[in-house]
Amino acid sequence: MPKSVSYKTNSIVYFKGDINEKIYILNNGRVSLNYNDIETGQEMHDLIKTGEFFGVKSAMGKYPREETAVVLQDSSMIAFSVSEFEQIVLQNTRIMIKMLKVFSNQLRRIHKQVRNLLRSGVDVSDPETGLFNIGEYYLKVRKGKQAIYALRRYLTYYPSGKYASEASRLLESAESGSVPNLAVSSAGSSRQSGADLSEIAKSYYNAVSLFSQEKFKEALSGFQKIIEDGVDGEYEAKARYEIGRCQFNLQKYELCIKHFTSLIQKYPKHPDLIDSLFYVGKSYEEMGTIDKAAGFFKKVIAMAKDEAPIMRKAKKALKGVEDK
Amino acid sequence: MALDLSMFNRFAVNFQPGDIIFCEYEPGDNFYLIQSGRVQIVKIIDDLEKIIDILQPGEIFGEMAILEEAPRSASAVALDNVKALEFNRENFEILMKGTPQIALKLLKLFTKRIYDQKRRFLILTLDDPQAKIADVFLMLSEAQPIHDESVNERVFMTTVEDIAHWAGVSPVESKRILNQFASQRRLEIFPDKIVVQNINDFARFVSSKRRSQVSE
Repeated sequence: MPKSVSYKTNSIVYFKGDINEKIYILNNGRVSLNYNDIETGQEMHDLIKTGEFFGVKSAMGKYPREETAVVLQDSSMIAFSVSEFEQIVLQNTRIMIKMLKVFSNQLRRIHKQVRNLLRSGVDVSDPETGLFNIGEYYLKVRKGKQAIYALRRYLTYYPSGKYASEASRLLESAESGSVPNLAVSSAGSSRQSGADLSEIAKSYYNAVSLFSQEKFKEALSGFQKIIEDGVDGEYEAKARYEIGRCQFNLQKYELCIKHFTSLIQKYPKHPDLIDSLFYVGKSYEEMGTIDKAAGFFKKVIAMAKDEAPIMRKAKKALKGVEDK
Repeated sequence: MALDLSMFNRFAVNFQPGDIIFCEYEPGDNFYLIQSGRVQIVKIIDDLEKIIDILQPGEIFGEMAILEEAPRSASAVALDNVKALEFNRENFEILMKGTPQIALKLLKLFTKRIYDQKRRFLILTLDDPQAKIADVFLMLSEAQPIHDESVNERVFMTTVEDIAHWAGVSPVESKRILNQFASQRRLEIFPDKIVVQNINDFARFVSSKRRSQVSE
């Protein structure tokens, strides 16, 4: 049972270093938590407000108290065991959200302090360079799947970043399964063979980036331009698929169906064929043509691999239309 | 604590072995609760992929995203076929109201992480690299389950690179110091583990260094 306890001025609730399972809430009076700042060594005094919990972290984490709790004037408080405290916060999510925010701020702060100490001597790269380096690293150690992920993310976040053309070039070789000559590329020498392609890749990923920002109209015209330029067959095929997705998101369902139907005829082995069928099904569903929608979802289920995300989506969609 | 999470099925995501769930340096906006399969937390340090942690079903990762979209500090990679629940700041409130136990779990995770980081900070504030490395062993020893107090020997399933990472000392320098400790018979280095002969000897060494630093 939670216990109400009273303390006289100048008494101590607990000392730094004590191991103690109690968590307190201050009812009235004044309590100060005294400790030395780990960075400066300066002595700190944090005043506890009435209604505030203290002693939470060390009690929950089962580690020694990190501060001394000094009573500044006669105070009364309630002492909880950890399990009693847990019962209270489980029933009061507002307290818990507040604590989560406080704790996660503290965690950020200490993370930063640790990083500052490590930084002396160690080079910490900016996120943009860091993300690109990871893609490059995975490609070098022939982990194609991981390389593709990191490079795609790079191009999504930094479509015109400082490594964008290099990233598109690496991404192409990762996608084609080859390992590019990284030594040559980092030396920054001859790269003419990939120059034109990189431009296309750049505009392609720019459009992908617009799509992910839900700017579907802008993305659509970006993809259309790639097809008009017609420089590279592979990106053209990719762009065609993306156009269909844009039309779906712009709620132009009839256009979307037409577009994907012609794509399927033109590229019967398109890597995104199954997804295309799914969008046709979704478009029919949006237009209220339930039986056709169900037919396409069944086709997707028949063709997709068991663990593919599209399988889950199609099953869910099929169930959705069958319930109608 | 057995939780009924079926109401969150719409947040379920699946990954195949080797899939990157999120990548170091990527802006983070989701956090995950593993339902099945294991997830590796890795970081690329000096052109080597280092496994920092292997997480099991029931564990949470990516939790820093709850507060703000800072770059990820490590990558999460699926080790098996992984099913996880994916949450973001928007649906976090739904999660909290539906299953406050998960929030409680997060609260505990934060207390542990704050403590671990503070402990690490203390190692880094030591000036002497030897003391830093000795203090890493003290930290690792504190994290082990309670020992028989009368036995001073400690076995750590760790490597020179790990020790270097925690101490913030270069691997070359760390290796030199560890070899020096080994020649003084204070520890023994094996390919997969390091055995410290007398942990109390290290404790005395570190605390005397810390005291002399304060009085300087």
